[in-house]
Amino acid sequence: MAHNVGIRRSEYVTNPVLRYIGYGVIALLLSVVHVVFLRFMQVSSVTPDLLLIFTVFIAIYEGQFTGMIAGFLCGLLFDAVSTDVIGTNALAKTLAGFVAGYFYHENHGVQFVGSFNFLLVIALCGFVHNLVYNFFFIRPMQVSFWIFFLQYGLAATLYTTVTSLFLMLYINRRRD
Amino acid sequence: MRGLIEFVVRYRNYITLSTLVVMSFSLMSIGRLSDLGGFRAVIVGSIGWIQSAFSWIPNPVALKSENTALRELNLQLAVEVARSRQSIVENERLRGMLKLPEYTDFGLIAADIVGKTTTEQRNYATINKGKVDGITEGMSCINDAGLVGIVVGASDHYAVLELLINRDTRVSAKVLRTRVDGVIQWEGENILVLKNIPRSLDVKQNDVIVTSSYSSKYPANIVIGTVTVVENEANSLFHRVVVQPSVNFSTLEQIFVVNARPNPERIQLERKIEETSKTKISQ
Repeated sequence: MAHNVGIRRSEYVTNPVLRYIGYGVIALLLSVVHVVFLRFMQVSSVTPDLLLIFTVFIAIYEGQFTGMIAGFLCGLLFDAVSTDVIGTNALAKTLAGFVAGYFYHENHGVQFVGSFNFLLVIALCGFVHNLVYNFFFIRPMQVSFWIFFLQYGLAATLYTTVTSLFLMLYINRRRD
Repeated sequence: MRGLIEFVVRYRNYITLSTLVVMSFSLMSIGRLSDLGGFRAVIVGSIGWIQSAFSWIPNPVALKSENTALRELNLQLAVEVARSRQSIVENERLRGMLKLPEYTDFGLIAADIVGKTTTEQRNYATINKGKVDGITEGMSCINDAGLVGIVVGASDHYAVLELLINRDTRVSAKVLRTRVDGVIQWEGENILVLKNIPRSLDVKQNDVIVTSSYSSKYPANIVIGTVTVVENEANSLFHRVVVQPSVNFSTLEQIFVVNARPNPERIQLERKIEETSKTKISQ
């Protein structure tokens, strides 16, 4: 039984089609979780961005090109389920995937995600993501961009980084 | 052609990024919430269905913020109710005061109390009318309930009243029913005492006390208060008559200044006789 699972897992890891389908399913689940359940983790209207963590994970694991595509699709998915303006999250997550792609090391993705460097990359990508997202988000509103960004953008970045700690610790333990 | 392919392969990340950014902007320009199309409507509907399915799970954070919002609302409504009640009370009081000029022969100047001060059991009130309005020292102040005090100082636009509940106040008064005379003094808190009433004279509980015509400072027949207690003072020939002031000084807000000064000729004569008596005694 354990042998079968091992075969399945290795098959899943080596077969890109299965892997990408898996990414799609996870993204779909995360977007639903984000919209339906993340209200329980809400702190002063700020929630962690699970899809951003997932985008950065893919970019580090698969490379910059795949990371951008994943970011774009995850963003589109999130825009659709969150009734946001279609394209804003897609743009922000595409750029986040692009930035995260610079930290791609072939065959060392798991090691990187299991280290504290992953948190730094999440913080950097979160900063870029929220900078771009807030710029378009507050455009129709009569508020100062920098005040809004410092109040919500940085808070969201910090919250997302803290949340990604759980993924980092999980991967770290599995790696050991 | 081969060069173009090599270029695309070499810079595929940047080309992809540019393409995705352009696509995002294009979607942003057409993807407003108001353009909720068929596909998106299905997604939003599905998400809404899932949300409603899990809506039974309580959200402590949301409950806390809702609780806070409700408390704030409750506080606002309580303030509104208090204001409303205050308006009703003020309305009734002002209506009562409007009738006052009909029942008095004096010229009255309406004023609002803008400040109250207490210095060593001397209670004063400041009103928003002064010399410009015709107010001078020595004028009495009343409201619809009765005697309030006397003006002891006036500037151009303000005047200070010595209230009836003041350690220095002495008012020549009489019992309305039996015309028995005495002197009203304040004994702290909300208690006035009618002094110099011999035990042989008739004073009862609920008798109304008014200013006496003997007073050189206050106009006659203005209500001061009602007798609440009549008791015999120990080792004395006099009653101790406790009077409840008719004016509620703790809620005093509007008053009338009686536009009449004591007769200066009378005051001058009384002072002269007083000084002569003192001189005779000292000799």
